[in-house]
Amino acid sequence: MIPNRAHIAPFAWQIGVTAGLLVLWQWVAVMHPAPYLPPLQNIALGYFRLLHGDLFWSAIVPSLYRLAVAFLAAVLLGSLAGIAIGSLRALEPWVRPVFEYLRFIPAVAILPASLLLFGATDKMRIFVIAFGSIFPVLLAAIDGARRVEPMLLDVARVNRLKVPKLLFCVVLPAALPSIFAGVRIALSIALVMMVISELIAADDGLGFYILRNQRLFLTANVYAGVLVIGTIGFGLTFALLSLEKRVLAWHRGWRGLLDPKGA
Amino acid sequence: MDARQPILFVDHLSKAFGSAIAPILKGVTFRQEPGQFVAVVGPSGCGKTTLLRCIASLMQPDEGAVLHYGRRFGDPPEWLSIVFQDYNRSLFPWLSVSKNVAFGLRELDKDEKAERVNQALRAVGLEHASDLYPWQLSGGMQQRCALARSIVAQPKLLLLDEPFASVDAQTRIDLQDMVMDICQRMSLSTLLVTHDIEEAVFMADKVVVLSTRPAHVVEEIAVDLPRPRDQLTTKETPEFLRLRHRVYMLVRQQVQKITLEHLPEKV
Repeated sequence: MIPNRAHIAPFAWQIGVTAGLLVLWQWVAVMHPAPYLPPLQNIALGYFRLLHGDLFWSAIVPSLYRLAVAFLAAVLLGSLAGIAIGSLRALEPWVRPVFEYLRFIPAVAILPASLLLFGATDKMRIFVIAFGSIFPVLLAAIDGARRVEPMLLDVARVNRLKVPKLLFCVVLPAALPSIFAGVRIALSIALVMMVISELIAADDGLGFYILRNQRLFLTANVYAGVLVIGTIGFGLTFALLSLEKRVLAWHRGWRGLLDPKGA
Repeated sequence: MDARQPILFVDHLSKAFGSAIAPILKGVTFRQEPGQFVAVVGPSGCGKTTLLRCIASLMQPDEGAVLHYGRRFGDPPEWLSIVFQDYNRSLFPWLSVSKNVAFGLRELDKDEKAERVNQALRAVGLEHASDLYPWQLSGGMQQRCALARSIVAQPKLLLLDEPFASVDAQTRIDLQDMVMDICQRMSLSTLLVTHDIEEAVFMADKVVVLSTRPAHVVEEIAVDLPRPRDQLTTKETPEFLRLRHRVYMLVRQQVQKITLEHLPEKV
């Protein structure tokens, strides 16, 4: 496609507005120095210091470790339990009220309780992140498993599929589009809970880094930390969407969102 | 296994859903000999699909039994397979055509599985489409894929639940010829459920006419048209026309019964 004015214009606007805001920031920061408005180069310095050396190991790595363990646990447990509950109708009346209640508890509210339970440990932080992010996955998986096309279940029965194979080869793939929708929500909740869990009784992680620099009035570093969290969120969401695009290519095709010839 | 017994004996089958509603099936009885092609016709909504689901053990009848060579059976047995009406919903959209077909196979090593899948795909003329997904195929091709899946395990009895109802007229004719050809070559016993009288007479050795709800067998009509049958010449024979007329009259009587029964309520 030959780039023309109509294609370039919106792109130019996006860059222009961003650059304009940055220039405005820098101008104000230089003309009217204030603690809450550090110049851009200081923020950039803080940002790159976080990505290299000691700070990378004491701020980013612990945060990512907690996020990864808790998020993967939430996705795994949430989808497995959700598929089991969604497939076994008999189970649902027993557990559904509990989940329907628990899901309305903001994960932040259980932070003090889990601090008492686990102490100021990684375990506590992982628990809080997982608690916050498991419910979207769990409820999406229950929903997805319950709405499996009944005819596919008939096909499975006629072909004498055993229960484990039925769950993994029929119910799980059928519920996957729904589960992915839950996982996307879970990821954003997990990020929030990761930061919050590191604001309490922590000695490492990005949340702790931000909090400490705020106490030392190192505003540039505070902003740098926030930007790193934004980068992580952007990167993980991008990775998740790419994965979804690959795994669920059939779903987009099936729903008619893909060109039938070019899939 | 008693070879003198029919491959399928439907013995006074009754089925109701809930206690308040009138039963759907009431004492449906007929038999099918090995290698025979039986078509079940009846007014729409008379419970043909329910009958098929009871035969396939996807549903338990309230009364009566389904016997295979004189024996009852529980869960869907390995000698039986089924093609559903709605190919759109019966194929796995996340599996390719060949994997959908392989779904009909259990416990075989990889090479043997691939060979059997290829055989089945060739039988329905889909060998060139094995890597495509069902949603990339036309309706007729999807139904051929479902057909390949149902014959890949070489069953003894094939149940067809209005398999040609959702495709266009030309495709329906092609599929009818293909199914007759496959059933004859594999000497499959086939039980076709359909509302299409012409299709029933054209394809079957015996047509079983069901009544309106609660369904029972009104009449069994033997179809002695010679095989192989041809869409043009067979359908022009006086015998075909006579049989079609007969079945049509029987079904129409049933339909009129419904209309008359419901008339006073509507007025």
